[in-house]
Amino acid sequence: MSDDGDTSAVAQAPHFTARRFAVSLIVAVLVWVLVVAVCSTIGQFRLGWDIWKLRMLRLIPASLVGAGLSVAGVALQSLLRNPLASPYILGVSSGSAVGAMAAMLAGAAGVITPLTMGGTTIAAACGGLATTLVVYFIAQRRGRLDPYTLLLSGVIVTAFNGAIIMLMYLLATQPVFRDITVWAMGQIREQTSAASVAIAGVVILAGWVVLLSRAKAFNVQSLGDEIASSAGVNVTALRLTTFATAALMTAAAVALAGPIAFVGLIVPHVCRRILGADHRTLLVTAGFVGAAFLAAADTLCRTAVTLRTGELPVGIVTALTGGPFFIYLLRRRFKEPGL
Amino acid sequence: MSEQHVLRVEELCFAYPQGPPVLRDVSFSAAAGKFLAVLGRNGSGKTTLLKCLLRLLRPQSGRTLLDGRDISQYSAAQLARLSAYVPQNATSAFAFTVRQIVMLGRTPHLGVMGFETDMDHRVVAAAMEMTGVSGFADRTLDELSGGEAQCVMIARSIAQQPSMMLLDEPTSHLDVKNQLAIYRMMQRLAHDWEMAVICVSHDVNLAGRFADELVFLRDGQVTASGRPGDVIRADVLRDVYDVDIELVQLPSDAVPLVVAH
Repeated sequence: MSDDGDTSAVAQAPHFTARRFAVSLIVAVLVWVLVVAVCSTIGQFRLGWDIWKLRMLRLIPASLVGAGLSVAGVALQSLLRNPLASPYILGVSSGSAVGAMAAMLAGAAGVITPLTMGGTTIAAACGGLATTLVVYFIAQRRGRLDPYTLLLSGVIVTAFNGAIIMLMYLLATQPVFRDITVWAMGQIREQTSAASVAIAGVVILAGWVVLLSRAKAFNVQSLGDEIASSAGVNVTALRLTTFATAALMTAAAVALAGPIAFVGLIVPHVCRRILGADHRTLLVTAGFVGAAFLAAADTLCRTAVTLRTGELPVGIVTALTGGPFFIYLLRRRFKEPGL
Repeated sequence: MSEQHVLRVEELCFAYPQGPPVLRDVSFSAAAGKFLAVLGRNGSGKTTLLKCLLRLLRPQSGRTLLDGRDISQYSAAQLARLSAYVPQNATSAFAFTVRQIVMLGRTPHLGVMGFETDMDHRVVAAAMEMTGVSGFADRTLDELSGGEAQCVMIARSIAQQPSMMLLDEPTSHLDVKNQLAIYRMMQRLAHDWEMAVICVSHDVNLAGRFADELVFLRDGQVTASGRPGDVIRADVLRDVYDVDIELVQLPSDAVPLVVAH
């Protein structure tokens, strides 16, 4: 509590200026570019233009999915004022799993013509968005969303979908059983069509910009609704925008790669710990960190292990690394009352 | 300047849907440079009144004029530059530092991307200085005592540079020393910083000692209002609080001490 300490602290106050924002943006982009560049050189074939192009066809969707899930995760943790929320709390992942699996099962049973990859993607997106709408209508009251009710309705609808998924596992026979399992774990595929990558990319990047423009509102919103609205934030509009944007971004990510676990939970958490709580920085960096993380994890799947049944799904890698890391973070939380 | 009315509340009526009236024809005004305390029993409508002033609730009838204009005509950001709010207790969902929280008061003054200028930092530094929180600028809320945390919330409101500050029982969780400190601070904000300070309070004695004007609410109606010396009377308080009241005149104080039986 010395007076010298006070003045020096004020003098060194970190300004959030355009320059500082530009610097953190450039650093984040460079980290991502570096990771993707290194990943694109790793593999069993000799690096040539064609091989490089093929690898980039996987690294780009992987980056988009990682960025989308991480940014949506930051926004939803802020919206729900709960650092343990993930984009999947909106029911998008369980809903798209139901949609995709139902389509696969129906195709195998001859009810409908067996779907192409694109058809499964559409079925997944429909299931995800339909579930999100159900969650919204349970949680809203006269058009307003209450964080606590939203969290509860998300958990309940996800559990309900979980039961349907289990039922479909029971009904499934080989080889559909394996297809369903692989889809449910999440996987980036080379043969993802350029069109679906482009659509998902536009949704994710546009959503990112929308959420970034709400960053200062997210900051003040964490002090409570009354303070936020007295500071000029329309809390009702903020919640609806965030809900819709995060749901669309998550749906785009899940449609590309299936419900990849833990990215949307872990990346926001790690970035929050390292960079602090300011959403103006967090929403930028978390996106690029998520992109780099998923690009690296997918490269590991592509190169390290080749199973008898094919490649290791990237969802397994993120869950296997993310789970223990999350427990580690949680334990540190108890030791340090600071966070 | 001294009698410039920042806030004029005219015949405000409010009822929750399908509920009985909570506010009935509430009228009062608050001037720049004056500290006004709103007093009354639980359920008398104090918090509802505050929520109407914050535009969190829309009254069924009546007008609320802020700087001569109805508050419903302001945009959210415009209103935020005129009026700021301090809640009963301070919470933050995420681990912001004290300096960051005070800077959140600048939100209505920043552009879309939220870039801060030197001006913003000077305002924040002055607000932290005034409330005495500069010493723990880099700590988080949950590392502070209740009194310190409440000072941070007041600093955040000051950084908003409002002409009116609304406080909802800011001392309800604090010890005697901190209660005194917060009441002194509210008095200084009014007298030295020329704000209209409006505080919902349960403490007649502290409000009577520090506030310039008291407004008593009972069942959603203003039963008495005026300078503490005029309205701290046994009959007024008996009517408002529904208990036996004894007034003790201490030689050191201008306003008598209220003892409830």
